[in-house]
Amino acid sequence: MGDVEDPDLISDLPQSILESILTRLPIRDAVRTSILSSKWRYRWTTLTHLVFDDKCVRMCSDRPVVENCMVNFITRALFLHQGPIHKFQLSTSYLQCCPDIDQWILFLSRSDIKELVLELGEGEWFRVPSCLFNCKKLTCLELFRCEFDPPPTFKGFLCLRSLSLHQVLVAPEAIESLISGCPLLESLALSYFDSLALNIHAPNLKYLCLEGEFTDICLEHTPLLVAMSVAMYMNDEMAECLEQSSKCNFIKFLGGVPLLERLAGHIYFTKYLSIGDYPGSLAITYSHLKIIELYQVSFEDMKEIRVVLRLIMNSPNFKELRISGSSTAVTSVEAPNLEFWAKECPKDCTFKQLKVVKMTDMSGVPHEMEFMKFLLANSPVLETMSITPCVYVMDGRLNMLIQLVRFRRASAEAEIIFLPDETLCIP
Amino acid sequence: MPEAGLAVVKPEMKSYIWLQTADGSVQQVEEEVAMFCPMICREIIQAGMGSSKNHAISLPQRVNPAILGLILDYCRFHQATGHSNKERKSFDEKFIRMDTKRLCELTSAADSLQLKPLVDLTSRALARIIEGKTPEEIRETFHLPDDLTEEEKLEPLGNITDDPRIRLLNRLYARKRRELREREKLKNVDVEDERADNRSVEDLLSFINGEDGDSKGGRNSKNKKKNRRRKEQAKYSSSNNPNENQKKESDTLPSVSPNDEVNDILAASPIKTSNFQDCSAVTFSPKLDFDDADIDDDLDPAMKEELDREVEDFARRLNSDWPERMQEILSLDPKKRPVPLSMNGHGTSCGYSGSFLHSFFLPSFFLFWFLMSICFGYSASW
Repeated sequence: MGDVEDPDLISDLPQSILESILTRLPIRDAVRTSILSSKWRYRWTTLTHLVFDDKCVRMCSDRPVVENCMVNFITRALFLHQGPIHKFQLSTSYLQCCPDIDQWILFLSRSDIKELVLELGEGEWFRVPSCLFNCKKLTCLELFRCEFDPPPTFKGFLCLRSLSLHQVLVAPEAIESLISGCPLLESLALSYFDSLALNIHAPNLKYLCLEGEFTDICLEHTPLLVAMSVAMYMNDEMAECLEQSSKCNFIKFLGGVPLLERLAGHIYFTKYLSIGDYPGSLAITYSHLKIIELYQVSFEDMKEIRVVLRLIMNSPNFKELRISGSSTAVTSVEAPNLEFWAKECPKDCTFKQLKVVKMTDMSGVPHEMEFMKFLLANSPVLETMSITPCVYVMDGRLNMLIQLVRFRRASAEAEIIFLPDETLCIP
Repeated sequence: MPEAGLAVVKPEMKSYIWLQTADGSVQQVEEEVAMFCPMICREIIQAGMGSSKNHAISLPQRVNPAILGLILDYCRFHQATGHSNKERKSFDEKFIRMDTKRLCELTSAADSLQLKPLVDLTSRALARIIEGKTPEEIRETFHLPDDLTEEEKLEPLGNITDDPRIRLLNRLYARKRRELREREKLKNVDVEDERADNRSVEDLLSFINGEDGDSKGGRNSKNKKKNRRRKEQAKYSSSNNPNENQKKESDTLPSVSPNDEVNDILAASPIKTSNFQDCSAVTFSPKLDFDDADIDDDLDPAMKEELDREVEDFARRLNSDWPERMQEILSLDPKKRPVPLSMNGHGTSCGYSGSFLHSFFLPSFFLFWFLMSICFGYSASW
């Protein structure tokens, strides 16, 4: 087999390099290095990052066999492993609710686990065992399709920096106490929750990502928040009961985030923000806000337009704006109140740093055109404004163009790019 | 150009740093390029070295001049600010296209210079080389010595992910290779390969003494048979010989075993034998468990039956008792004598690797047996 005279090329590299090489291999190949030579026999057993996925075992059509193979493989690998395990990831659709997983987590809880990712298959959701809550050193936790039920004595993960819960069944109070029980939490991602009302109290939180049906979100104490991405789903009943609430959602959400740099709102986010009475006296300045992305803004709702205006006018340094119109063809009941633009918009407002504007799904409704006009007139350093009409609007495109061409531009450098086809993107 | 002993920095000229590799050769390198390496950077700033030829920074031993050239090319490209991410990526891709030997040297050198981006790049390249290859290919690429014994290779540790049929084939091939190698070594009268020698001598002796009911020899033989059977069972991993299992189970305990093989196996997998979980033996199929009767692999029933049928033949041959076999042969029972396999003997590969053992030993065995029985037939103890 190997030439005895030639020197061994690789086994004498430092342990850290060999470990990083083995970590980059799929776990199956890493384990197989154990039969290469005597030096390699137990080299893989000290890996601290273990990632198990569907590629671990050979596929065959018989599902119980694959499940069995995978359980065997993981159990044996854990058994033979030596030393601490810092990262454990299990992403497979073949395993669902399996007693072996409980035992693996028990084993991991004794090995100083720091990062745990569990992504299991559809079907019966896995119930997270209580030994998970004993992992004191956990810094990163990601759970998909699990049932999460902390014991009453659970105070929180003191070292946790990143928490991601997707499609996790958990009581709302449990989430709140979990978030507040993790003082070092920097990144939070919650998705696919149904009707969740949340008060987020996280003094170190920097990145927030929410997606789902939230009835009430209040960023109670998140002073260090840097980037936020929210996708708010709403059904009609929720919309109704929200209409009746008097508390201003804008304040609740964006009231306490002075360091915000990036904001992205999807689906009904702007509508959510528009609910409630905004006290006109309050002026919050988002001096670090650079990128604003608001999707599916309905330009026929005055309140939503006001939210958008409020946001951009209180952000003196924002550089990039992306707005998409609501593509549902809503026929306006009343004639658009175009005087709003003349009366309520301050004339002396300039967007000193705004360079890029991207507007998509534009239907050409009067308010949209006025908004574009407003932007063009008040952005002295604007470089590009690209406009993509909504796919349903075929006749109104020429009209849009005619109006666009007429608008005054404050910036001599501004390019207006009209993209009839959304697939043609400018680099 | 800077004078010897002085580095004159003029605005329009770059300043140079002197580097010395382990073999003594000294090179001049632009300062900004050299500063890209943290280790060199530290030497310049903290120790003030490198400004002249006499005070050249001596690089770690793992960096030879050719590799230093490569590293400096890398640094020169990446420290320049004008390149886009895409350009950097394509440079990296082209950069690591080199033979494996140089790649390993480069990794080692980059690590000693603490140039982390390059270490990451080369590690990724090495991982890509290893990924997807069979062990033989990997050994060939990196010139690794194939110094694991066959037992160690055949343990589930190494092959826990393969298809059971391929695993079976691998085991058969490995066993055949081992037999061939042992035959070679026996021909060379290699004393070091005790295993083969042991078996030849001790098997003969054990056979002779087995019928005397002697404890030591008997234990040896039974242990040895049990070892071999255990190994074979480990290879075939299907409980296809319940009768023989039961019979062997009632035999001696392996605890007092002077046999090297058992110690080898035990030594080879200390981790495995020390922990046993409560879950069914099925989950782990501990191949070296002494309660062999329960061996059940992760084969589903259909495959198991098929494999059972496949291996029953040679398993039966391999697992049978030496005395029994001898009785068979000596009784000249034409049905049971493995005529087509053993009489061919020397070089035929008929896939039944066990037959090699038989084929080699049987002729000499006959002779020896006759001789021994004559000489030792009188003594009751050994």
